Amino acid sequence: MAEILQYVHKDGFFHRINPFTKIAFILVISLMCIISTSIPFLAVLVVALLVIAYASNLYKEVIQQLKLVIMMSVVFIVITIITMPNGAIIGHVIPAAVPFVGGFIPITQGAIEIGLILTLRFMVLIFAFQLFLISTQPRDLVHTLEKCRMPIDYILMFIIALRFIPTLQIEGKRIHEAQLARGYNPGTGFLGKIRSVAPIVIPLVSNALLRSNVLGLTIDMRGYRTGKRTHVRERRFLRSDYLVLTVLVFVCAGFIFLTLEQIL
Amino acid sequence: MIKLVNVSYTYPHTIQAALNHLSLSLPKGQCIMVTGPSGAGKTTLCLAACGILHHEYGGKKEGQVTLDGRDVTGYRSLSEIAQNIGIVFDDPEAQMIFTTVEEEILSALEYRGLSASEIEARLASIMETCYLVELRNRSPHNLSGGQKQRVALAATLALGNDVLILDEPTSELDEHATHRIVEILKNLKEQGKTILLVEHKYIHFRDIIDTLVVMENGAIRAIGAPREILTDERLRRIVIPDFSKIKEGAGDRAAPAGNATAPVISVQHLSYSYDDVPALKDVNLDIHAGEFVAIVGENGSGKTTLVKHFNGLLSPTRGDVFIQGKNTRTCSIAELARDVGLVFQNPDHMFFADTVKEEVEFGLTNLGIKDGAGIIDAALGEVRLLHTKDLYPRWLSRGERQRLAIACVFAMQPSIIVLDEPTTGLDGDEACLVMEILQELQRKGHTIIVITHNREIATNCADRLITMEQGLIVSDSPVR
Repeated sequence: MAEILQYVHKDGFFHRINPFTKIAFILVISLMCIISTSIPFLAVLVVALLVIAYASNLYKEVIQQLKLVIMMSVVFIVITIITMPNGAIIGHVIPAAVPFVGGFIPITQGAIEIGLILTLRFMVLIFAFQLFLISTQPRDLVHTLEKCRMPIDYILMFIIALRFIPTLQIEGKRIHEAQLARGYNPGTGFLGKIRSVAPIVIPLVSNALLRSNVLGLTIDMRGYRTGKRTHVRERRFLRSDYLVLTVLVFVCAGFIFLTLEQIL
Repeated sequence: MIKLVNVSYTYPHTIQAALNHLSLSLPKGQCIMVTGPSGAGKTTLCLAACGILHHEYGGKKEGQVTLDGRDVTGYRSLSEIAQNIGIVFDDPEAQMIFTTVEEEILSALEYRGLSASEIEARLASIMETCYLVELRNRSPHNLSGGQKQRVALAATLALGNDVLILDEPTSELDEHATHRIVEILKNLKEQGKTILLVEHKYIHFRDIIDTLVVMENGAIRAIGAPREILTDERLRRIVIPDFSKIKEGAGDRAAPAGNATAPVISVQHLSYSYDDVPALKDVNLDIHAGEFVAIVGENGSGKTTLVKHFNGLLSPTRGDVFIQGKNTRTCSIAELARDVGLVFQNPDHMFFADTVKEEVEFGLTNLGIKDGAGIIDAALGEVRLLHTKDLYPRWLSRGERQRLAIACVFAMQPSIIVLDEPTTGLDGDEACLVMEILQELQRKGHTIIVITHNREIATNCADRLITMEQGLIVSDSPVR
């Protein structure tokens, strides 16, 4: 089963660069996509991330998130159409030709634009974080964040949150199968999901709580919280790291210049 | 090294003591094996012996635990105790923190104050000792239960502690993998390590055990050299389960329908692949009504994959599976659940209701059976759990939960009952009880299929033994 947001052992460009460089990359990309409201610029960021994923031999893993992104974009656009009508009307959800209720809920250009901006922002964030997490071993991440003076307990919390994703994913599948074998047929779609909450979520949460207790004890008994670490297989800064950081500086400078020009 | 003096402990919000005036001494270089029924307090003993109870758990504690003569409460934290003691818990999945096998072991080594070259050398040696070299870059989450147990053991061994506490380290391992663990422990003992081992497989470990401890109800029932303890017939039955009497006690049973009638399960040229990895290769098999079939084979041989085809959880990549003449490709899982009941290895994957009764009722409701009080009582009676009807399922012991899982499936009255490793984590008496229940179900006309890696169970309980290896059936013969 493909694991969500888990390290994938491969050898590619993004795997080779230093986790510190990757964190800088993520920060710059995230800030730019949050500040920018330009659809073409956000689209360029999405394409750039996909190109990087392709060049790093991680395209297949990144594109796995496409289904989620499409679902989210539909939700965003529907919500913005309903809640944020703005600008020229280009149609109605219920066509004007329908008697009595026709012409209800206008579809406006502004609402679609906002929906698209939100969608592209989430695409950038999801692809960027996916790229980062699948190419960085948690051990390297711990070391880099430790160097950034982040307290070890917070780092471990972050690592554990990530680590629980596949556990819940695999466990959820097993529980689902066990209940199906008991003749359970919650049905598909939204109602099916609601009906399956108790028989699946209750065992899932109960088992996860038990597991988190053992996991916490394992962390203590393996001494991860002592903080006295021997540096082994340290990741050095390579030429590609300097190259990426230089590109980031230029992109950042260009972005700040263009944004300020727009504001002033 | 470790000494427990008159230790009693009661978990928070419970009345009954999990440990009851327990005293035990673990001398340097010795291996002590602790065994006993589930709920006897074996895991609590492990937690007490490494100071976890005193440092991390609430509840009522009495008595004293010392490590190298120093009271465990005198240690600043568990991390300080962990410099001397390593523990492997019974749930291997919960001990996987990182994303590759090598990273899991390497990261444990980094906090031991070793030089980089020492770390690399020890990493290589541990990977080899625990037979993990080929799994180096695999994600721990995607390994089999047995492989995960080896990784958890390796990560703890890597710490190089003098004392090791192992809580059922082989519960999910087949014969071959268990022997590997025995070899590892034998080496460790020769190196002078002190080992506290909680296990049900005495026979496998007998060569390395110095002292055998039998626990019951939170107290030590017997302690001493294994030879002395095994002279007591009752204790012997707890330590070494005797499955040979099950068949004798089963009495008259309905004779299997034999090859003259149409098979209830017919597997024809079945192949199945997970992504691109073949798990079953052109399997052909007929099972007739009333048979008791045991499927044995090592971890990863395709046993579970095969039986998941019987109730439609998996659909064949190639070939067909017929249940009572119906092709599983054309039936829904819910429809097949009327004919085939599947009890999974871990009963905790199914329990969600507030009471045992409601848990059994769930399956009946799914089949549209209303007012099934009589059926529920009969099913619970069958597995000797009628007295627990109003209890919360997760409060039951491991053996009782396993029997409840059987009751949940049995209540739905499927003609075929499939059980995946029904004796995992059970002590001898409980394992015998589960197998006796299955014999009774067979006598009532059910077809029973049991997956197990315990050949003794297979040969003593089943009429027919199927052996699988690497996705193939390599032998299929009646048991004499």
